[in-house]
Amino acid sequence: MRGGARARKIPTYVILIVLVLLWVLPVWTTFLVSFKSSQDFVSQKFYQLPTKVSFVDNLKNVLKIYRLHEHFLNSVLYAVAGAAIAIAVSSLAGFSLVRLKPPLFFLLFLIIYSGTLFPFQMYLIPVYRLYNVLGLYNTRVGLILIYGAICTPFALFVYRGFYTTIPKEIEDAAKIDGCGPVRTFFSIFLPQSLPPTAVVALFQMTWIWNDLLFGMVLSRTQNIRPIMVALATMSGYGGGNIPYIMTAVIMTAIPTILLFVLLQKYFIKGMTLSVAGG
Amino acid sequence: MKKGEVAVSYLFVLPALVLVVVLLLVPMAQNIYYSFFEWDGLSKPLFNGLSNYTRLVVDRDFLISLRNTLIWVGFTLVFPVMGGLLVAVFVDGVVGERFFKSIFFIPLTISFVATGIIWTYMFSKELGVLNNLFELIGLPLKPSWLTGVPLNTFSMLIAWTWQQLGTNMVLFLMGLSTIPVEPIEASIIDGASNFQTFVHIKLPMLRPITTVVITMAMVNSFKAFDIIYVMTRGGPYHSSETLAVTMFRETFTFFHLGYGAAIAVVLSIIVIGVSALYIRRMANKDLLYY
Repeated sequence: MRGGARARKIPTYVILIVLVLLWVLPVWTTFLVSFKSSQDFVSQKFYQLPTKVSFVDNLKNVLKIYRLHEHFLNSVLYAVAGAAIAIAVSSLAGFSLVRLKPPLFFLLFLIIYSGTLFPFQMYLIPVYRLYNVLGLYNTRVGLILIYGAICTPFALFVYRGFYTTIPKEIEDAAKIDGCGPVRTFFSIFLPQSLPPTAVVALFQMTWIWNDLLFGMVLSRTQNIRPIMVALATMSGYGGGNIPYIMTAVIMTAIPTILLFVLLQKYFIKGMTLSVAGG
Repeated sequence: MKKGEVAVSYLFVLPALVLVVVLLLVPMAQNIYYSFFEWDGLSKPLFNGLSNYTRLVVDRDFLISLRNTLIWVGFTLVFPVMGGLLVAVFVDGVVGERFFKSIFFIPLTISFVATGIIWTYMFSKELGVLNNLFELIGLPLKPSWLTGVPLNTFSMLIAWTWQQLGTNMVLFLMGLSTIPVEPIEASIIDGASNFQTFVHIKLPMLRPITTVVITMAMVNSFKAFDIIYVMTRGGPYHSSETLAVTMFRETFTFFHLGYGAAIAVVLSIIVIGVSALYIRRMANKDLLYY
């Protein structure tokens, strides 16, 4: 054991078990409620098991009434496209800033990175206005662009960090073989870029999927709005049908949970990177 | 560098640069500009100098919002951060470590909106889990978790802690794993208790990661919007708003865009100021320490 032999006394476990119970309680009750029908929910105590499992019914109703599948697909589009844009522009820029080193490269890096300094509220009003003027308000393209822009600084940071670890010899060998910057990037750097790409994809797709603020402010009609806006609206009438809402919560959480499970080894890498520079 | 190469190098950086400058940096500058105007978004903006800012100082809702924001930061430093550290210490090296880690980790994978909805149900006065649990065990308490003031802020902070503690725990565990074994063993041989070892050896060696955790946690608590919007909309009667929420309401519900811009500026100054101050203080301390 790390730190030498340290007897783990009973109190440690007791505390941990209590905390685990506290932490699991909200999750368990959410699942329980989503399995109940409205009648069950209103007439039963919170801990009683449902008389019949209504999860599928709830899900069907949720999709039918609130058309969540539309929002679901919107968010899939936004997450994938937004992250893809950030990945594309940041891998190029990262490569250039690290290897090609244009004059003023540090300044350029700072400029792009300063996008992370300010809270989102600083961009909100002017972008809202800009989108109205440009006709990007309430468009999918508009949302994809802002999501891409917001994800770029972090992505750049990740790619830059990764590219500094690629040995110079490889690049030199490529140069000797006559590769220009374009070929060096596409044939050598890019194929090796799975780790940073996975980190960026995990963190940024999750962020975009979970976004409420920009989705709410920059869209107006139901067919454009992302999933979290729909979820927030659903729950916003001081109650509503709780089993439906909980079913929707579970449904909308699945993609991000799945993402985490699939890419979990990149999560630690990503955290390490945030620590190193964030 | 050859001339052609310089051009290519700029070209590679260009898309990222354009995207960020046009959609983030220029708007940021514009926001500062708008904060000196009175504007409803449709008609012509009216220049009014520092009026928005002077209005803030006497705006009762703004001051309550500021108070709440400070409560958010303070509470975050105690519970999600210190709690995260304590849990990390408890979990570190224990049997079933991976199981415990994943339990605290689950809330991180869901959105703030989902957390807000789940806890709104937990806190619901009549049908909610907590009040019914109290009834079940005979506790004669039935708080109005989300409508009492300032209870509503603290209720939301409980939900916030539930979600955020996991991140801090993961970071602290990372930090703990980098502590070399020798000083620990040496101190135990010297007869120090677990507690003394923790306070005098582990804690100081965790300082770099602690800096990161505290900075991130503070910045996140300033930015918290989704969870408040979902749980109380900032109400009742603006009593549970933080600066982020107030900015939203003034701008998008009341269409006081200039005023909202001013609030955004104040929020940004606080966030950047606090982060910079804290990081600088920690950096100096590190120099002294080593």
